[in-house]
Amino acid sequence: MSDARKVPAPGENPGWAGNTGEYQLSESQVRGEDYVGVRPPEGGHAAAAASYPYMLAVKDPDAVLFEGPYEERFHKILTRYPDRRAALLPTLNLAQEVRGHVSPETMDRVADLLELPHAYVRGVATFYTMYNKGPVGRYLIQVCTNISCSLCGGDKVLEAFLEATDTELGETTSDGLFTVTEVECLAACGFPTAVQINSRYFENVVPEAVPAILERLRAEAV
Amino acid sequence: MGYPYSHSSEVPLLSKHFGQPEARTLEGWKARGGYEGLRKALELGREQVIDAVKASGLRGRGGAGFPTGVKWSFMPKDKNKPHFLLCNADESEPGTFKDRELIRWTPHQVIEGCLIGAYAIGAEHCYIYVRGEFFEATQVLAKAIEEVYEAGIAGDDAMGSGERLDVTLHVGAGAYICGEETGLMNSLEGRRGQPRIKPPFPAAVGAFGLPTTINNVETLCAVPHIVVNGGEWYRQWGTEKSPGTKLFCVSGHVQKPGNYELPLGFPLKDLIYDVCGGLAPGRDLKAVIPGGSSVPLLTKDECLPCTLDYEGVVEAGSMLGCASVIVLDDTANVVKQVRRMVQFYAHESCGQCTPCREGTSWMTRILTRIEAGKGLEADLDTLLDLSDQMTGTTICVLSDSAAAPVVSSIGKFKEDYLALIRRGERVGAA
Repeated sequence: MSDARKVPAPGENPGWAGNTGEYQLSESQVRGEDYVGVRPPEGGHAAAAASYPYMLAVKDPDAVLFEGPYEERFHKILTRYPDRRAALLPTLNLAQEVRGHVSPETMDRVADLLELPHAYVRGVATFYTMYNKGPVGRYLIQVCTNISCSLCGGDKVLEAFLEATDTELGETTSDGLFTVTEVECLAACGFPTAVQINSRYFENVVPEAVPAILERLRAEAV
Repeated sequence: MGYPYSHSSEVPLLSKHFGQPEARTLEGWKARGGYEGLRKALELGREQVIDAVKASGLRGRGGAGFPTGVKWSFMPKDKNKPHFLLCNADESEPGTFKDRELIRWTPHQVIEGCLIGAYAIGAEHCYIYVRGEFFEATQVLAKAIEEVYEAGIAGDDAMGSGERLDVTLHVGAGAYICGEETGLMNSLEGRRGQPRIKPPFPAAVGAFGLPTTINNVETLCAVPHIVVNGGEWYRQWGTEKSPGTKLFCVSGHVQKPGNYELPLGFPLKDLIYDVCGGLAPGRDLKAVIPGGSSVPLLTKDECLPCTLDYEGVVEAGSMLGCASVIVLDDTANVVKQVRRMVQFYAHESCGQCTPCREGTSWMTRILTRIEAGKGLEADLDTLLDLSDQMTGTTICVLSDSAAAPVVSSIGKFKEDYLALIRRGERVGAA
């Protein structure tokens, strides 16, 4: 790529596309953090209660499904659909938010909550790729290698993440911090390479920026 | 204004406030004329709104290009059962990244379009189905939805009209096929996102067995502008058959990738070489995929005369799809990229129909072999034969979409395949 495209210098990649074009925006302005603020864990208005399955950094695989604000959110979700089955995806999202992954036991628990057959829920849960079927690291790093990113070096970014974390695809680092996987198109094709880390998008990622991104995450994890 | 770059050729209607954080808020959106469209729609009445959208010639921006007003008029007029509007924000076609920008920069534009659409088709409830990966954009939309409920814009008495207009955010969980409208309905209902056989069409039997219309985010975003300014006003841009503006998502080997809102009928050549700043110095154009990974590739010669409207791209030998222009320069390895696209379809096949379930993974194995320099010339015939059997033989068009780049690349870039097969020589590195 030539100079016309303002790619941040190696090691200085901020991980979001705000200052790559003609806009001078802060990271929180691009991500909308100023506007959204801190979302209430009980879900706010019922119309939006199903809407934010955060991939939380801190996970509790044995958490009760559901209690406290999460139970409140679950009941709010139920009010938005004509039947209980339609609440299945939002409920699985909520379960993953709390527990970090959706194990067969979690699927069964969700089935009981929604009065659905266990086998049915397992069939649905395994259809969707965003449900982690097993535990993942504190940071799930998903690198897009689909066509637009691949044309601009997505494969090398994936390699760089694997090398820097010293893992194989899907493997979690021994300190439990990172799991690196490949992901299908993240719909950020104009900002290659797109990487999703938990709930955040990192855009315009180049291999040289990978160590800085990992450092940033390590610092947040302390 | 496009994001992250703009250009003087743009006609910013939908994208006018991209990159302006203050436009996200209800206050900021109202200061920019927000919710005037909904107010006017509620005054005009359903029929007039549908007539205005019909007059505008607005066509579905999700890829099929079906006239939106006509689609709305298929909904039953009698109101003896609930109707639903589904806003399709399950954006996952490789190359497409417009809906995320619309949601994160202008969430109220999306909501206003949904409320007007719901009102027009007599639906009390609109579900916005957003793909699960869009955590950040979804939270922005969630906040905006809370604002409209608080302001009485949505709810039991929308803007004091006496109409009930509800909107609910529904988040997917990672499945490309849920972007297909009947797959989306199944997913909303808590099922696997497997497409349904049509007929019955969603307007008769849709989500929860009730009359339903599914519209793309961008389609609905255009509606408030049309209601405020009238259908004829929208026709000042675009062509007779493809009126209006469209967000073009340009990615791949151009200097300034990004979203650009241009009138339909814009020359593809100018989009690449002028708006997007051309290719990197010393590079030559090899191929363009004009409508996302599901459409046939165009060669350089086919690109040059091509205009970007629904008819113009068909004439050039491909389809406009959702106007996701992926540019490949002469460093691109076409075989590798086709393999990557087909591999994507194999991953995303829902597995209902045999030609798709078996065909996509079989094609991936063959293409991987060719890419590794271990292919045979007979493999190309097998690929073409498979493509033939995968086209028009399944419930939805995912299978056809997987076959399109294979057939077009073998037809147009056969030399690249043969170089790998005969000499193990790779053409292009990217």
